[in-house]
Amino acid sequence: MIDALLKFSIARRWLVLFLVLVVAAIGLWNYQRLPIDAVPDITNVQVQINTEAPGYSPLEVEQRITYLVEVAIAGLPNVEETRSLSRYALSQVTVVFKDGTDIYFARNLINERLQQAKSQMPQGIEPGMGPVATGLGEIFHYAVHADNKARQSNGQAYDATALRTLQDWVIRPQLRLVPGVTEINTIGGYEKQFHITPNPAKLLAYGVTFEHVVEALKKNNVSVGAGYIEKNGEQYLIRAPGQVSDIPSIEQIILAHRGKLPVTIRDVAEVSFGKQLRTGAATRDGEETVLGTAVMLLGGNSRTVSEAVSAKLVEINKTLPQGVTAEPVYDRTILVNKTIATVQKNLLEGAILVVVVLLAMLGNVRAALLTSMVIPLSMLMLMTGMVHAKVSANLMSLGALDFGLIVDGAVIIVENCIMRLAGRQHHLNRTLNLDERFQVVFSATREVFTPSLISVLVVILVNLPILALTGVEGKMFTPMATTVIMALIAALILSLTFVPAAVALLLTGHIEEKDSIVVRKAKQGYTRVLEIALRLRLPILGSAIVFIFISGFIATRMGTEFIPNLDEGDIAVQSIRIPGTSLTQSLDMEFQVGRVLMQLPEIKTVFARVGTSEVASDPQGPNISDGYVMLKDKEDWPDPHKSKAQLLEDIEQKLALAPGNAYEISQPIQLRFNELISGVRSDLGIKIYGDDLEQLLASGNQIAAVLNGIQGADGVKVEQVDGLPILSVEAIRPALLRYGLNMTDVQETLSIATGGEDAGQIFDGDKRFDIVVRLPEKLRNDLTALARLPIPLDEGGYVPLGEVAKLNIAPGANQISRENGKRRLVVSANVKDRDLGGFVTEVQQKIEQQVKLPPGYWVHYGGTFEQLQSASKRLTLLVPMTLLAIFALLMMTFGSAKDAALVFSGVPLALTGGVISLWICGIPLSITAGVGFITLSGVAVLTGVMMVSAFRDGLLQGQSIDTAISEGAMMRLRPILMVALVAALGFLPMALNTGTGAEVQRPLATVVIGGIISSTLLTLLVLPGLYRMAYRAPQRT
Amino acid sequence: MKLFLPTQLFLMAITKKLSVKSVVQLSLVAIAIVGIAVANAAKEESKTSAPTAKEKAHDDDEHEEKAAALSDAQLKTAAIELAKVGPASIHETLAFYGTVEANGEKVQRVGARFVGTVRSVNKKLGDSVREGEILATVESNESLKTYSITSALTGVVAERNINVGEQTNDKTAFVIVDLSTVWIDVAVFPRDAGKVHVGQAVRIGNPANDITAAGEIVAIAALGTSGNQSLSARVLLNNTERQWTPGLFVNADLMMAKKSVALAIRNEALQDHEGKPVVFVKEKEGFEPRAVKLGRTDGEFTEVLAGVKAGETYASKNSFIIKAELGKDGAEHE
Repeated sequence: MIDALLKFSIARRWLVLFLVLVVAAIGLWNYQRLPIDAVPDITNVQVQINTEAPGYSPLEVEQRITYLVEVAIAGLPNVEETRSLSRYALSQVTVVFKDGTDIYFARNLINERLQQAKSQMPQGIEPGMGPVATGLGEIFHYAVHADNKARQSNGQAYDATALRTLQDWVIRPQLRLVPGVTEINTIGGYEKQFHITPNPAKLLAYGVTFEHVVEALKKNNVSVGAGYIEKNGEQYLIRAPGQVSDIPSIEQIILAHRGKLPVTIRDVAEVSFGKQLRTGAATRDGEETVLGTAVMLLGGNSRTVSEAVSAKLVEINKTLPQGVTAEPVYDRTILVNKTIATVQKNLLEGAILVVVVLLAMLGNVRAALLTSMVIPLSMLMLMTGMVHAKVSANLMSLGALDFGLIVDGAVIIVENCIMRLAGRQHHLNRTLNLDERFQVVFSATREVFTPSLISVLVVILVNLPILALTGVEGKMFTPMATTVIMALIAALILSLTFVPAAVALLLTGHIEEKDSIVVRKAKQGYTRVLEIALRLRLPILGSAIVFIFISGFIATRMGTEFIPNLDEGDIAVQSIRIPGTSLTQSLDMEFQVGRVLMQLPEIKTVFARVGTSEVASDPQGPNISDGYVMLKDKEDWPDPHKSKAQLLEDIEQKLALAPGNAYEISQPIQLRFNELISGVRSDLGIKIYGDDLEQLLASGNQIAAVLNGIQGADGVKVEQVDGLPILSVEAIRPALLRYGLNMTDVQETLSIATGGEDAGQIFDGDKRFDIVVRLPEKLRNDLTALARLPIPLDEGGYVPLGEVAKLNIAPGANQISRENGKRRLVVSANVKDRDLGGFVTEVQQKIEQQVKLPPGYWVHYGGTFEQLQSASKRLTLLVPMTLLAIFALLMMTFGSAKDAALVFSGVPLALTGGVISLWICGIPLSITAGVGFITLSGVAVLTGVMMVSAFRDGLLQGQSIDTAISEGAMMRLRPILMVALVAALGFLPMALNTGTGAEVQRPLATVVIGGIISSTLLTLLVLPGLYRMAYRAPQRT
Repeated sequence: MKLFLPTQLFLMAITKKLSVKSVVQLSLVAIAIVGIAVANAAKEESKTSAPTAKEKAHDDDEHEEKAAALSDAQLKTAAIELAKVGPASIHETLAFYGTVEANGEKVQRVGARFVGTVRSVNKKLGDSVREGEILATVESNESLKTYSITSALTGVVAERNINVGEQTNDKTAFVIVDLSTVWIDVAVFPRDAGKVHVGQAVRIGNPANDITAAGEIVAIAALGTSGNQSLSARVLLNNTERQWTPGLFVNADLMMAKKSVALAIRNEALQDHEGKPVVFVKEKEGFEPRAVKLGRTDGEFTEVLAGVKAGETYASKNSFIIKAELGKDGAEHE
């Protein structure tokens, strides 16, 4: 088949070139459609069901909403886990589906089930699903800002409420329409509300109640359509407008008649613009602000979308009132551009180096150019492949590409063609005619095609364990492996079709048979060295083995890092305060954080989200704030050479100035990923399931005590579930009896008074503002005033709330976490200086012996140890299988175990160089480095196969073993050197680059460069000796 | 990286088969090198284990003393204010609602002594009258003599039920009220009944216009109201300015004893720590949560019965931040 294909390519060379052109065009088109992002998306397939329940405490939220949602969605197909969170005013149920589930299918299923649950929920409570987005979704943040001179139309300065109104009704509706944006999330400022604040004493005086006020508002704020009438052939529509539109019209609403006189709202209450009871706020540079976030639709192209948002924002800014601006504070485009620039620079420089090498070594401009054509062509084919495999272009997926590796196959073929063509010309002493040329090209290609096929197959085989990774690691590295495999296959196809076709077309005329100077010098040197190497083969082999031992030992001593840390350029500072911290207090503390940070000259701006935003994609309490620290360009720093680590130290120092906060420093995208994945992030997480929160906590503490007694346990933590101060107003039943009150009489009055009750809306064009009835702010926050709150009695008169209810302040449940339909508490621990497996077994035993759980309670052991165990189980199976497969492949090629083993021996030899170069550069072992080793083994096998097959050919031709070895080695010197040089130099820019994202690629490049040096040396020096030893016996006979 | 072990073994197998001698020769060299590497690694190990020991010591520290050490710069950023424990006078108050009633001792219902025909009426509703002033004249049906009805109070005509030519019969002709003083009937609910006694000063406020006046409790009703289970405490209020019209609803703040205490702290200094009220007292090592026993309190100060000494410095405004600083190690996301 390969022969047929080759023959076809050479015979129909124009057609092949045309087809290549078409494929390239398709590639170009697909390049436009390829999603480009900075990092791979590691979010799982999940749907968040958010239900707002204003005024509900965690316990009520759990009981009346979360539970219902959980029951409704139980038993959906493809669900991996459900977890839920019930906190003040918010229920969030997260359903995680198995990877690969279609998100729209999942949402459809959930929507269907939610309809059933809705009917059982309290009135006015609507569960809804979070935006269709992933952890990469928050691509653009902007802050709405007014300068001091800006005035509203009524002459007042712009306050948080006015800015929020602009955001809600001017900016947001327009941005939502930008293609690719699924949601504009808002946090900060206050939604404008009309507040009716009755004075309890006045209510008593007029004998009206809070309920009366709410009723009256509802009855006097409706417009109705009343059909139509016909008159003289005309049709009159009838409407009865009755909506209130402003404060005076609200004030005049009638409440009751007393002594023939109307009592209006104005008589008992104050009507004013008020502030909503908000669950979140935003700060910027130490001041209150309104923050908008554009969330990208799943699968979008973050660069295109955030560019579109940015452009739209510029347009919107023109229409905003004088002095008010919506200023971008975070734009993903910047990071993506920087990252892509790094990748592009690396690839481009690599490509140039490769071309230079080809020119120098081949000494034939046409050949060099045609070989390097493989680079863009295979890239374009890769683009098509990526679009179809739904792999986004990012640092990880493009990071492992090496143009050297891609052209390796083509290099060998072109080199061999040139050699054979030149040889043939020399032999015939004339330029070749067409048929002869084709014949030579065919046989030359055929001759070396096997090694390049094998090397590609080897790389694919070694990539298999990576493809088997699951979870976060899988999402991170599978794209890397996929793109490498796709690029190699593309290159392989090209070297089978395009390369021979082009060679046949282009390498006409006289071909220089002499080696270029570089190669000549190399050959001269090699002759001598090879001689010595063959003579001293034992010591050299010995030292190679020692070398392997040393590097193996170094490898075990080296630090490891599972996933490399991508530097996003910006910093995220999460400030965490004790549970129960009020929003105002938390906001105050975040102001302090912003102010101290802004003292650093390297920082451009600091903005933060305190608490939960409007769309609760991250339901955190008011005690937590997510801060984003945006840095200036390095050129604008006082010291442009300051390292990031140094800056982080400075930031930590400054942060220490603002007390009362615990800080977690990370990066914006990383922070978002953590929030979304949000599983147990420690080595061991013991989940206790059960009903009673106190019992769970008690058992949790018991388990923590056991854990602390086990050697190796580190950082044992019991999940914080309590600590939220709760004022419970518990009605005294006998008192209710005495006064003839119902429980709800007390509860309703209380909930209107403190929580406020919506009593309709006021419309102003598109804008709509809530009308809320509640106590005046001064009384709301006063506990003694609350105790005096009059509860009206049926037969007239009143009784103060304190008389019929006990007001208790006690810490209560801060939030209730559930998993798979049951309350749960997590005790987490890390393991230090001990193997994880043994630790976990001991923990399980001890807990079984020492902790008695009541019936209906059970524990589950989870945490990263689970993933590590399953990953290592998979790998221990897959790695030997892969090695066996490679060996089998080589066996099939050579038909000899000995030859296969010889070629195979090159792999560990190659790896040593990688390990040592990592060690020298002080880079820890990581999966990216692992990908480097994979690449290396491919190159090592390639060179090994070339060498060994040359030896074999020599032997087959009847040469003595010594001649076969030395001649074969000489013949293969040029291609081996070329392959090594292009692969190593192709990676050189990656190893040296310091731009954004370079830190991910550096380990890989370092490994490859180091490894190729060792692998080439060893192939050239050790392999001949080894071959000599292996075939000592046949020579004797 | 897990590639190493199998490949090594594999390679060794080949090489062993090929040249057993070479392996033996070189194993000596290998052992030497491994020895050096192990020594090296051991050195590294001791380096890494040193910080762990330090960390542990640090952990222990935190358990022993839980004071929050804050630098001056930190105090400034957090805007934490300091105050000294000292004497203060505390005005404790209890808040109630009441209704304005006419002073029951200053209400006069005037009737005609002898039934007859009203001949003249001198006062209209709302007119003020002096003591002894003639309100109306009546011709007795029996004696046919005309006599005068006079007011025994200086006050206002609150009711007038007769007109010229009418028969007086037995009805009340006039109600005269002296509004120079009024009663405020304050509804006291059982919970607070024990704290209320005759002679207590009361501040009365009109919620509609913010006028306030001072009075005192003159009587506590002997019988309670069954409807709302309350007792009525009566306050006598001067009303020469006529600001208090009977029937109005008013706020009544009962002044409990005004008391000078030796040890008091500002209210904003109080925080709840591990279920107990504490004050953060400045010590050498930092701010220490001090559990306190509290006495009386008003809008500004709270009396301390035990827990702090006079002259000690404590955090008053923004004391919450110290509580947060102490608790921050336990704070985590979720």
